[in-house]
Amino acid sequence: MTGSLNVVGYGLSAIGPGIGVGIVFAAFINGVARQPEARGQLQGIAFIGFALSEALAILGLVLAFVL
Amino acid sequence: MTIVLAAEELNPLVPHPIEIVVGTIAFLLLFYVLKRTVFPQFEKVYAERTDKIEGGLKRAEEAQEEANRLRQQYEEQLAGLRAEAARIRDEARAEGQQIKAELRAQAEEEAERIRQRGLEQLNAAREQTVRTLRAEVGGLAVQLAERIIRTELSDDARRAATVDDFLSELDGLAQRRETSPTAGGSS
Amino acid sequence: MTTLATAPAPGFEAPGVADFDLPPIFGPVTKPVVQLVLAAIIIYVAFRYSVRKPALVPSKSQFLGESFHGIVRNSIARDMIGPEFLKYVPFLTTLFAFLLVNNLFGIIPLFQFPTFSHPGVPYALAAMVWLIFTYVGIRHHGFLGYLRTSTWPPDVPWWVRIILTPIEFISNILLRPVTLSLRLFGNMFAGHLLLLVFILGGEYMLFTADSILLKVLSPFAFGMGIVFTFFEAFVQVVQAYIFVMLTASYIGTVLADDH
Repeated sequence: MTGSLNVVGYGLSAIGPGIGVGIVFAAFINGVARQPEARGQLQGIAFIGFALSEALAILGLVLAFVL
Repeated sequence: MTIVLAAEELNPLVPHPIEIVVGTIAFLLLFYVLKRTVFPQFEKVYAERTDKIEGGLKRAEEAQEEANRLRQQYEEQLAGLRAEAARIRDEARAEGQQIKAELRAQAEEEAERIRQRGLEQLNAAREQTVRTLRAEVGGLAVQLAERIIRTELSDDARRAATVDDFLSELDGLAQRRETSPTAGGSS
Repeated sequence: MTTLATAPAPGFEAPGVADFDLPPIFGPVTKPVVQLVLAAIIIYVAFRYSVRKPALVPSKSQFLGESFHGIVRNSIARDMIGPEFLKYVPFLTTLFAFLLVNNLFGIIPLFQFPTFSHPGVPYALAAMVWLIFTYVGIRHHGFLGYLRTSTWPPDVPWWVRIILTPIEFISNILLRPVTLSLRLFGNMFAGHLLLLVFILGGEYMLFTADSILLKVLSPFAFGMGIVFTFFEAFVQVVQAYIFVMLTASYIGTVLADDH
C-alpha cells in the first residue's frame, strides 16, 4: 500500500477547523435568526472567524506538502 | 502525491515565476485602466442618482416652505385688514356718537333758549299785568268807594261790613299774588 | 472510490499533483498564463461595455456592471472599512472581478482549469493586499501605532499579553497574507482535484477497466462529477468573495481607531 502519511496528518488536522467553521456559522445563523437586521455586521464577523479557524486547516495543507 | 518523493519533486506550493509576473502585470494594468475609465463613471451615475432623488426631496421641501410662508403672509394681511375694518367701524361709531352728542347739545341749547325766551315773555306779561292791575285796582277801589258813598249811607253797620268785606277780599287777593303794592294800599 | 480500490486490472493512476503541471503552449507560456491575460481582457471589455453610455436609468448591461460594483461597494467595502471606504472600492472591485473570472475558468468548458490552483498569482495578490493594509495602517497610526493596534489588544492583563501579543503579531501581520493566498489556492487546487478524480475515474471505468460492472457504474462517477461541478461553481464564487471580504476587513481593522 502506497500513500503519503502527510495526507493522513492533514486529514486529522482538518477535523478541528471543520468543527470550528461549523460552530462559527452556527452562531452566525443563530444571530441572524434572532436579529435579522444585524445581518450585515454579523456577516463580516462570521467571515473573519471562519478565516481564522480555516487558517489552521490551510497550515495543515501547507505542512502536508512541505514536510 | 502517491509517493512522497514525487510530491517533493512537484510541490504544488512552489509558484511558477512567469505566472507571478504576468498575473501581477495583468492585474495592475486592469486595475489602473478600470480605475481611470470605468469606476468614475459608476460613481458619477451613483452621485447623479442620489442628487436627483435628494434634489427632488429638497425642491419639494422648498416649495412647501414657500407655500407656508405665503400662507402666513396672507394670514397676516388678512389680520391686518380685519383690524383696519374694526378700526374704521370704531371710528365711524365714535363719529356717530359725537355727532349725536353735538346735535343733542345743540337741541338742548335751543330748547333752553326757547324756554328762556318763554320765561322772559311770561315775566314781561306778568309785569305788564301787575302794572295794569295796579292801575285798575286803584280805579276799582275808587269806583267801589264812590258806589258805597253814593247809595247806602243810612245804615252804618252794614256799610262798615261792606267795607270790611271789600278790604279782606283785597287782602286775600294780595296775599295770593304776594305783591306788596296792594298790601301797602290796604293798610 | 471503493470500486476503484477493488478494480484489479491495468491499474488506475489516481490524479495527483502531476496533473497540475501543464505543458507549455509556446515558449514558457502555459495555460494559466493565457487565462490570466484573457481574464483581464474579458473583465475590461465587459466593464467598458457596461458603461459605454451611462444613464440615470441603467440599461441591462449597465445594471449588471453597477450591481457588481455595488456589491463590492455597498455590502463589502462600506460595511467592512467604514467612512473612508470609497478610496478602496476600485481595488476591491477589480480584485473581485479578477478572482471570480479566473476561478470560474475552472468550470468553463475549454478552459476547465482554475488559474489559482497554481499558487503564484494568489501569492502576488496577497502580497499586494499585505502591502496595502500595512501602508494604510502605518499612514493612519504611524509605525508604532500600527504595531500597537495590531498586537496590543486593550483591557488584557499583563500575563495574558506575554502569550497574546506574539500570537497577535504572527496571526495579524505574518500569517494574514499566507492564509489569504493559501486559502484561495487550496480551495481551487482541492476542488479541481476532486473533479479530476470523478471525471478521470469515470473515464477509466468506462474505457480502460475490464470489469463490466465498472463500465455500468461509470455514469455514477460522471454524475457525481457534474454535481461537484455545481458545487465547485459555488465554492469558486465564495472563495473570490471571501478573499475580497477579508481584504476589506484587514483594511478596516487597521483603519479602526480602537482594536
